Amino acid sequence: MEMVASLFSSDNYTAVKKMMDVSALRHASIASNLANVSTPGYKRVDMSRSFEDELRASIKSRNADEIAEASPRTEVDALTPSTRADGNNVHIDSELLGLTKNTMNFNVLTDFASGSLKQLRHAITGRPA
Amino acid sequence: MNVISASSITGSALDAEKMRVDIVSQNIANANTTKGIDGKPYQRRIVAFESLLDAASGPNMQGVRVSEIKRDETPGEIISNPQHPHADDDGNVTMPNVNIPFEMVDMVTATRSYEANLAVVRNARQLATQALSIGR
Repeated sequence: MEMVASLFSSDNYTAVKKMMDVSALRHASIASNLANVSTPGYKRVDMSRSFEDELRASIKSRNADEIAEASPRTEVDALTPSTRADGNNVHIDSELLGLTKNTMNFNVLTDFASGSLKQLRHAITGRPA
Repeated sequence: MNVISASSITGSALDAEKMRVDIVSQNIANANTTKGIDGKPYQRRIVAFESLLDAASGPNMQGVRVSEIKRDETPGEIISNPQHPHADDDGNVTMPNVNIPFEMVDMVTATRSYEANLAVVRNARQLATQALSIGR
């Protein structure tokens, strides 16, 4: 039992779960940006920089509790300059690139989560999945 | 939480962009309408978008909606065509203020935005499928 519990509370597994939450939230931000690509004055939404630093530091610490505590949040990005007369700072190409990148990232994360569960099933049944 | 994340935001954008294409097609269709339902030459319509906070998808998330469909009050071109049934006593006809190249550019922009939002739908579906297949 000890071994199974430690698999689900390991720092890697916790980090993967947290990063999947981040991916889902980033997807929603990109959806919001692309929805408002024609809205005058709209400023793009992105993952909060302070959260990214927090997550990076907590993963470096390899402490599962600290990783689990980080709460993903977004912020309005007013720093990216607008190249349009209406003040909107969404660039459709970079958002689409970010969308694809985020989806690929998510694939890697689900593969890792599946891998951990497959290993566990392998250990229980004694045969590879 | 939504299984397909941010589907309401993307849905609102698809609706709004579709409305923009509809209005462009109305403008192009009436490019030569010299007598509208109000008896005056057709005035091109302009769609205005506004963003809409979508609290269900999280803080800062914004959908979009058509806030207003305005008439363009720019006067239309006046051409001399005495044979025209809508010509005034001097033989002049006021044409609608529709500018076809302008409308075409607007249509392409709306179509591209629509496609970008469809890409979001495709990716959202992929995220959901991947998440549902964890452990398989």
